[in-house]
Amino acid sequence: MEIIEHPPIFRLPGVFWPGYVPDHVTYTWLVMIILTVLAFVASRRVELVPRGAQNALEVVLEQFQQLIDDVIGHEGRPYLPLIATLGLFILTGNLLALVPGLAGPTTNLNTTAACALVVFCAYHYIGIRKHGPITYLKHFMGPVPWWLKGPMFVIEMISHLARPLSLTLRLFGNMLGGHILLAMMFFLMGLDGLIGWALSGSAAGVVLGGLGGGLMVAFTVGFIYPLKILVSFLQAFIFVMLTMLYISGAVEGHEAEHH
Amino acid sequence: MRRSLIRAGMAVLGVPALAFAAEGAANSGGWIGPFTVIAAGLGMAIASGLCGLGQGRAVAAAVEAMGRQPGAAARIQTAMIIGLALIESLAIYMLVIGIILLFVQPIK
Repeated sequence: MEIIEHPPIFRLPGVFWPGYVPDHVTYTWLVMIILTVLAFVASRRVELVPRGAQNALEVVLEQFQQLIDDVIGHEGRPYLPLIATLGLFILTGNLLALVPGLAGPTTNLNTTAACALVVFCAYHYIGIRKHGPITYLKHFMGPVPWWLKGPMFVIEMISHLARPLSLTLRLFGNMLGGHILLAMMFFLMGLDGLIGWALSGSAAGVVLGGLGGGLMVAFTVGFIYPLKILVSFLQAFIFVMLTMLYISGAVEGHEAEHH
Repeated sequence: MRRSLIRAGMAVLGVPALAFAAEGAANSGGWIGPFTVIAAGLGMAIASGLCGLGQGRAVAAAVEAMGRQPGAAARIQTAMIIGLALIESLAIYMLVIGIILLFVQPIK
């Protein structure tokens, strides 16, 4: 992995061990600081007619609430803090990785696995608290005849265990894949690539390398960066959406399958 | 004269072999190493190609449905995005496997 990773501009030295604090830990703390400061600034003087930061954050949270009302229904309102926190954390982490010189926490498998495990534990806890353990276990068997209930239970168990895996790998793979693409572009441009050829001083290098390097810069800035910003928003949205679907499946229980 | 030419030829032919041997020793590489590169590239090609076919079918059906019922466009779009994410994750699995094969190299 060391080939494609670059050290970010800011690293914390480890206190209890030699070397550095892992980058995803450092930048998870940076995301936490950003979100905390944002929330503090927005809620420092809460007004009835919001202005500035309070207005902006209220719009964002109202979007989350709208989404929850659409997917889970009104009984999903209590889960707004969980869902909005996950969404804002993942979105900020994704966007942080796009700033040159910083590292993104979501490009590391540990961060995404932690988020997915939180979702996994949360929706089972919500389901058990809503229906009680026996009813909740029964809804894994589904609306099938009695002789199908055993195999159905096993299949449902496997599908539920696959959920955190797919949540983890989808976010991680999308983010890291985009970064590898960017790294490839920068290697093509870099000092042993087109720009290096242009800087080498030969006439052909100046013409072809300069032209190719310029094209590559335009392609990266004009196409790959907007694409990655879109993917950042989309992956945060999909993570939140799937979380809401899982919670709604756990809350509805087995009444939902009849209508 | 001829003997020195033969020696020079042997030296020229031998140097890359030595270089390869040194490189191989540095990578501690067996013969599996190159095949992991081929496997990662071929696997990613197959996975992304078939994933593109699947996503194309899904988007075509969703756009058709949106054309028939423009009122339900928002809900169809949400369902389409979730479906696309689920389809795409299959190709993402292959991407992760490819990354592991190329950069982590569990089998050399």
